[in-house]
Amino acid sequence: MRAGVSSDTMSDYNPAENFFVLMGLPQQYSVDLAALTARYRELQSAMHPDRHVTASERERLLAVQKSSQINEAYEVLRSPTRRAAYLLTLAGVDSDMSSTTFRDPEFLMQQISLREELSELSQAADPEAALDQFYQDVDAALAQHRDQFARCYDGADYNAAREAYAKLQFLDKLRYEAEQQENELLDY
Amino acid sequence: MALMQISEPGQSPAPHQRKRAVGIDLGTSNSLVASFLNGSVQTLADENGQHLLPSVVRYGESGDVVVGDVALAKAGDDAPNTLMSIKRLMGRSYADVQSAAVLSPYTLVDCGEEMVKVETRAGQISPVQVSAEILKSLAARAEQTLGGELDGAVITVPAYFDDAQRQATKDAAKLAGLKVLRLLNEPTAAAVAYGLDEKEEGVIVVFDLGGGTFDVSVLQMTKGVFEVLSTGGDSALGGDDFDEAIANWFMGDEYPELSSGQRRRLLTACKQAKEVLGDPACREAGIVLDGNEKVLTREELDKLLDPLIDRTIRACRRALRDAKLSTDEVLNVVMVGGSTRALRVRERVAEWFGRQPLTDLDPDKVVALGAASQAEQLVGNRSGDEVLLLDVIPLSLGIETMGGLTEKVIHRNTTIPVAMAQEFTTFKDGQTAMAIHVVQGERELVEDCRSLARFELQGIPPMVAGAARIMVTFQVDADGLLQVSAREETTGAESRVQVKPSYGLSEGDIADMLKASWASAGEDKEARALREQQVEAEALLQALSAALLADGEALLSEEEQRELLAEMETLHNERESGSAASIARQIEVLGKASEVFAARRMDASIKQALAGRRVDDL
Repeated sequence: MRAGVSSDTMSDYNPAENFFVLMGLPQQYSVDLAALTARYRELQSAMHPDRHVTASERERLLAVQKSSQINEAYEVLRSPTRRAAYLLTLAGVDSDMSSTTFRDPEFLMQQISLREELSELSQAADPEAALDQFYQDVDAALAQHRDQFARCYDGADYNAAREAYAKLQFLDKLRYEAEQQENELLDY
Repeated sequence: MALMQISEPGQSPAPHQRKRAVGIDLGTSNSLVASFLNGSVQTLADENGQHLLPSVVRYGESGDVVVGDVALAKAGDDAPNTLMSIKRLMGRSYADVQSAAVLSPYTLVDCGEEMVKVETRAGQISPVQVSAEILKSLAARAEQTLGGELDGAVITVPAYFDDAQRQATKDAAKLAGLKVLRLLNEPTAAAVAYGLDEKEEGVIVVFDLGGGTFDVSVLQMTKGVFEVLSTGGDSALGGDDFDEAIANWFMGDEYPELSSGQRRRLLTACKQAKEVLGDPACREAGIVLDGNEKVLTREELDKLLDPLIDRTIRACRRALRDAKLSTDEVLNVVMVGGSTRALRVRERVAEWFGRQPLTDLDPDKVVALGAASQAEQLVGNRSGDEVLLLDVIPLSLGIETMGGLTEKVIHRNTTIPVAMAQEFTTFKDGQTAMAIHVVQGERELVEDCRSLARFELQGIPPMVAGAARIMVTFQVDADGLLQVSAREETTGAESRVQVKPSYGLSEGDIADMLKASWASAGEDKEARALREQQVEAEALLQALSAALLADGEALLSEEEQRELLAEMETLHNERESGSAASIARQIEVLGKASEVFAARRMDASIKQALAGRRVDDL
């Protein structure tokens, strides 16, 4: 569903530009976040529309598009899950896993136990402590499957990488649900 | 021998070429204009030495329109025609205003889905027109002080302002004849004001507690880049609630029923007591209502304020969590808004963040000062110590899907500008049109979000159901304003997109208002249009000349340079002797002719930024 910035007027503009190339990083799962952030700030310092306020209208329009693209590249590469999806897309693998069922019993057990933990959060004696524990558990699981993704992807085993990615999505969703509960809990 | 011109580093060597740029804080109760003057950024005073301009506009009996203190003086006698707190109505429909319980003594006109209007003796007035009057008054003050027409303005808006409210603000500026360099979020402006001299790096929290709203923003400052990491707040919490709490304490059981007049007097007395206790030397303050006095001690005041301050702390906790930070990672807390003068607020903020908040700058002026500093840079007066402000979108943008649900396209706290493309398809054979409803907000149901625009994609080539691929691009610019474009991908057919903003004004509305304002000012429409095109032509010629000087030889062949120069020459001549229409045509021609050059310059900038980095890596 997602695509790059579209452009109606500019022939030179390349919406499909590789985010890793744009950010000057090697195309792999492991990313040097400090280098990514430094590069991001440098690119925005040159391309942000605020740097082109007195330029011609065309240049201002281009600056908005380029700057948007830099923002998107940064967001995608910074997020471990979105980065995984993006790498799969680059490898020509469909990352849409909505119809997949897992046949990994270990992961299923992990899922069930985390789900249970989540559903019991609101009844916990100390809900905030229970939440913190839950985040720790989810984050540990996330770290485990990120490692798995990296190993599979770098070994060009895209089917296995795709499954690892689906697990990341699943865990992200759990984390999101916990955050929603936290909102209610803390009465934001 | 020619005399050598000596100038300080960072200062323009030719003062007469300095552009006149201002920062404007268009506030709910008061507004301010600031500019770079005599070596520093400062707020500008009116002829009576007043810096704050009450955001009050009065439509008088003789067709006159007055702004500020003069208008405020009449608020009691002529309430229906004296418009206050109009910012609360910007970009809002009648229904919004009713549900938000915005109290107003004037007659609001229900315009359905469109922005609410106010019934006055001058007719039905849009909040945009009222805001334009305030802006005009500030612009006139600035032109007086700076000695000429303004080249541009940065106008601040609350960080939580949605698309409709931002658009309304920009429309107001257009109506006031101001060139908007940028709509800047108020907390970002405040951080800039404090960041000017301190070349520190780290996380800054802006704590903005005004009369009616609380706003918190978390920013990362690194080498002159201000990155907004998250924003949050409470749109119904402010100093007015402090006064209410004190008033309720005063009344206790003794005054069960107060008349509205008594209540207003009591609130004023409570506000004064609160301000007296803003002085650390004072321990108590008396509150008198109709001869009955009660003494408010600092301890009692703190007890009354604490539950309200708790709510601000809770919003801070959430904003920090959204930014994935803890309090010990915060370098500085910046205080903005008159209500941060309350000592208890400062105490509690210091306690929670574990550091004293910054209060050196006047909390009422800090936003305007930051805006002016940014305006100064954007207009090109300053180079070298440039800062870059990366703002975020405060509310998620989504589209309506089956069953009245929203699907988020751009999430809140995403850095802007941002573009997202979403693919749609047809669900019926031969379908040639499709309706899209864009909403803004966090809730799952469309009816709980703000409707931004409904538009229809037309001219989709007839195909079997599901075969068409319609790519809809949502582009949010650096001001936080949304633009939507669509294209059918399989055939390459460009769909005609009609965007009808639910709460905004159409271009036609604005043109009508402009005409009306010219008529009332006795201006000649033709002359004004010609002048506008001349200014635009001049801006384009200047921009292109500068670009050619910098990159012309490197990026264009001699042939290309010649062609571009020829079109520039034509525009130059048109500007001197052409009509508004012919100048506009040539601006368009030159714009097209410079497209390739513009694109190459962008690519060159990117390459340069990347090259610079590689050198650093070595």
